[in-house]
Amino acid sequence: MMVFLLFLPALIIFALSFVRDVRAYKPLALSAFLILIPTVALLPVAKPYRLLGDYLVADALDVYVLLVSSIVGIGVALASMTLHKHVAISHAAYRRFYRFFALFWIGLILSILSNHMGLYWIGLELATLSTVYMIKTNRTAAAHKEAWNYMIVGAIAVSLILFGIILIYASAKPILGEEAMRFDLLILHARDIDASYLFEIGFAIATIGLFIKMGFFPMNLWLANIERASFYPVAALFSGILESAVMIGFFRFSKIAMQIDYDHLFGFIFIYTILTIFIVSFLIFRSKDFMRLFSLSGVEHMALIALFWVSGGSFAALLHFGAHAFLKPALFLSTGVLESQGKYKIAGALRGYSGKRGALFWFLVSLFLLALISLPPSPLFFSELYGFGAMIDTAKSSHHLLAMLGAIFLLLLLLSVIFYKFVELYQAMKYEGASHEKQVYAGELIALVLFACALMALLLPASLRYLRGVAL
Amino acid sequence: MILYILSIFLMLLVAPILLSYIKALKMVLLFKKPISLLQGYRTVAKLLRKETLLSKEASGVTRYAPFLVLSPLLVTLFFLPPVVQGAYYVSFVDAFTLTGLISLSTFFLMLLGLDSASAFGGIGSSREAFISALVEPAMVLTVFAVSMMAQDLGVGQAGVNLASSFPKMHMASFLFAAISFFILLLAENGRIPIDNPETHLELTMVHEAMTLDLSGVYLAMIESASAIKFLIFASLFASLFMPFGYNNAPPIAVIIFVCKLFAVATAVALIEVNTAKLRLFKVPNLLGIAIVFAFLSLITFYLLGA
Amino acid sequence: MVDFLMGLFLASLIVALFTTRLYRLLNWYAFNSMTLGLLALLIGTRLDDDAMLITGALTILLKAGVIPLFLKSISRRFRFIRQIQPEIKVHYAIILVPAILVFTFYLSEPITHMITHNSNYVAISISSLFLSLLLMMEHKNIAPKIIGFLSMENALFLLGITATDGMPMLVELGIFFDLLMAIVVINLLFHREQEEGA
Repeated sequence: MMVFLLFLPALIIFALSFVRDVRAYKPLALSAFLILIPTVALLPVAKPYRLLGDYLVADALDVYVLLVSSIVGIGVALASMTLHKHVAISHAAYRRFYRFFALFWIGLILSILSNHMGLYWIGLELATLSTVYMIKTNRTAAAHKEAWNYMIVGAIAVSLILFGIILIYASAKPILGEEAMRFDLLILHARDIDASYLFEIGFAIATIGLFIKMGFFPMNLWLANIERASFYPVAALFSGILESAVMIGFFRFSKIAMQIDYDHLFGFIFIYTILTIFIVSFLIFRSKDFMRLFSLSGVEHMALIALFWVSGGSFAALLHFGAHAFLKPALFLSTGVLESQGKYKIAGALRGYSGKRGALFWFLVSLFLLALISLPPSPLFFSELYGFGAMIDTAKSSHHLLAMLGAIFLLLLLLSVIFYKFVELYQAMKYEGASHEKQVYAGELIALVLFACALMALLLPASLRYLRGVAL
Repeated sequence: MILYILSIFLMLLVAPILLSYIKALKMVLLFKKPISLLQGYRTVAKLLRKETLLSKEASGVTRYAPFLVLSPLLVTLFFLPPVVQGAYYVSFVDAFTLTGLISLSTFFLMLLGLDSASAFGGIGSSREAFISALVEPAMVLTVFAVSMMAQDLGVGQAGVNLASSFPKMHMASFLFAAISFFILLLAENGRIPIDNPETHLELTMVHEAMTLDLSGVYLAMIESASAIKFLIFASLFASLFMPFGYNNAPPIAVIIFVCKLFAVATAVALIEVNTAKLRLFKVPNLLGIAIVFAFLSLITFYLLGA
Repeated sequence: MVDFLMGLFLASLIVALFTTRLYRLLNWYAFNSMTLGLLALLIGTRLDDDAMLITGALTILLKAGVIPLFLKSISRRFRFIRQIQPEIKVHYAIILVPAILVFTFYLSEPITHMITHNSNYVAISISSLFLSLLLMMEHKNIAPKIIGFLSMENALFLLGITATDGMPMLVELGIFFDLLMAIVVINLLFHREQEEGA
């Protein structure tokens, strides 16, 4: 029953996307709200809750990620209602976008809730292949090229993940048999795995696959290029839902790896993420358009989340994760509005919004931008504080405290580069350039308000307590 | 001892027939009327009857070189793995000696080409040097890899070991070595993807260019040298990479061995019919593959034991 | 015999790396899949695992038969460039390929002490994974990239049948499903392309 409810909104969207009538567009977007019913219903039940045998099991982490991604899904579905007012898109392409959005959503719900490595992978693959079409909705040469790119690089990343999964399975099969695909059993029996080297190779390959999918070190620009070439809701979905599903895979795998050899795991992730942030911060400094800027900053946030998670600050990682998942789609959606009909310059982008709606819009965008660079009331500020604290705590118990302090100093230096760039950007948007009359529509505004509310709700004591409960 | 002498004698007899066989098979496949299998003998007999002319510019090298081209190959013939059980064989000759003897012969062939001072001879010699420089490392690696698998560095002993106890667990590296060796067989004997033995087109020829100025007895010697060289490679391939049939009674073993030689020749003929000659500067690509496989065979053997 | 097929698998992948013509590349891919399917059948009979026999037969049928022919017909229909020159020169590839092999063999050397049987196959499948990545990297055209992706799938499958003595049926079917899905997506992408060009 619960499973059916979870997939229901996506199925409704999928079915409605075949209706040619324009009147079907409103229920198409609004049916996304239905996802809240099962998600909220899952909140109070005792965890782990078996949804479908041992295959789909909801634990606290799953439900949190599911909640976050549902809110993003609703927001994006709402904002897509006005997609045709900002970009040139045919009716057929519009419906096709929703159709593949539904497939994408099904895949990701599957991988978020799965307790089975194989099922996790199948969901991810389904999402990857349907994204190719979502990118193709934009009928430009650049989008076409990027769809191919996504096909190839996404396929490489997903294949690497599967490769790692098979190796992990092979390492655990002697003790668990066919059940070695289950995450919960793997975590329970991680210490019994004899072939730890095999597991670590598998973990490393799977992690590299996951990281490539999020745009980490060797493939820093591919995600930015793709998000630039496709329509803005696609970028929002990427950062809000796809990255959530990828990240939860990383959380699960690293939880097992932590029990096998913590030092190896920590060293690997530490070097990888710092290298990524190092490169990304300079790429951000050099980039000249919104989409790339935000998607690169998304890579930076993902690297920080991975780093916090492995250094023991799982609370900080989850907080950062939630804040990122709400902020990025909001910013991508507002980028779509800012760039509407192809007219856009960074200088003066935020000027010219008049009336109540306009004022609310620029206020929200400023809020998001300033929250992104973790100015104090932003959840990102607290999560970074907690995260760095956790890193120092971890280092205290070992004998490389000094190296850790140096690394944190380096990280802060790099983050300040990003900070500088965003402040400069904000000033240019608000105080430079000429102002033209611009339009904002109700749909996207509601979505933005929703994201802003969700962001603030993250800071409520109740939700912080809940997060601490999840992080345990 | 008698078996040893007899088997060498047999190989000498088979050598010209093999080359004629390749040619005849190719002609059949191209719907031409095939030449006789004895054409090799006829050519040699005809050349021996003809007058031997030497170029005015030719020095003493031209007079001695044909002997020195032929003799290392004849010596190599004595070091090959045995054909039948109980035959005498030389067990201590390793990959380096074998490759060295073959390149000694090639060296004198190149000198011969240079000595006549014709432009073609120079072209041919430089191309031959280019190719054989690429062949040798792969050759040493391959034969070494096989000898390692057979657990004896001596090629003759390796052949015997392989035939008596085949290393099944090293099948993968064995296969890689076989692929590499087959490419080398084509390259060293100037068969089609590397060199076309049938044309006298100045742009493409390698082996023929060096022997353009020869006639009579000297040409007969060079021709038989190339037949023997093919035989050496074919019999190495047959006894190292197709190590079966050795343990049968001598007459059957000999028949199986000859069949294997003809099988190799058939494979060569099929490749010749189906592929085009490579451009000279593409030759390193093919030989590069041979080197990769030779190396691969060694590392799979050492690191994986497969 | 298994070793022999394994050698053929790796050898055909290496030769595919040096191929400069599309159809020949397709043939090598078909050969590669053929050895893989035979391997699955062989190991399947040895382990008496019906699932593996089915997947082996499916592999021979689909990967060695249908997919190469299908790609060939696509390439006829959409007039692919059939001369595919690798971006990495052969001279460098000659050094790069053994380097990759040595690296991966050393990487998986400790594994040989952990798994008692079929331990080499893990090494070979990891190295074929890297080689197919190289195949994808060294070409600019889309068609060889697709072949690279497909051979990567083959490497995955090889790992699945050798390292684990057979994956759960669900995952094996998932892999097949994904492969077919990918082929459909590729086909549709090309169709869309033509439609837009017209």
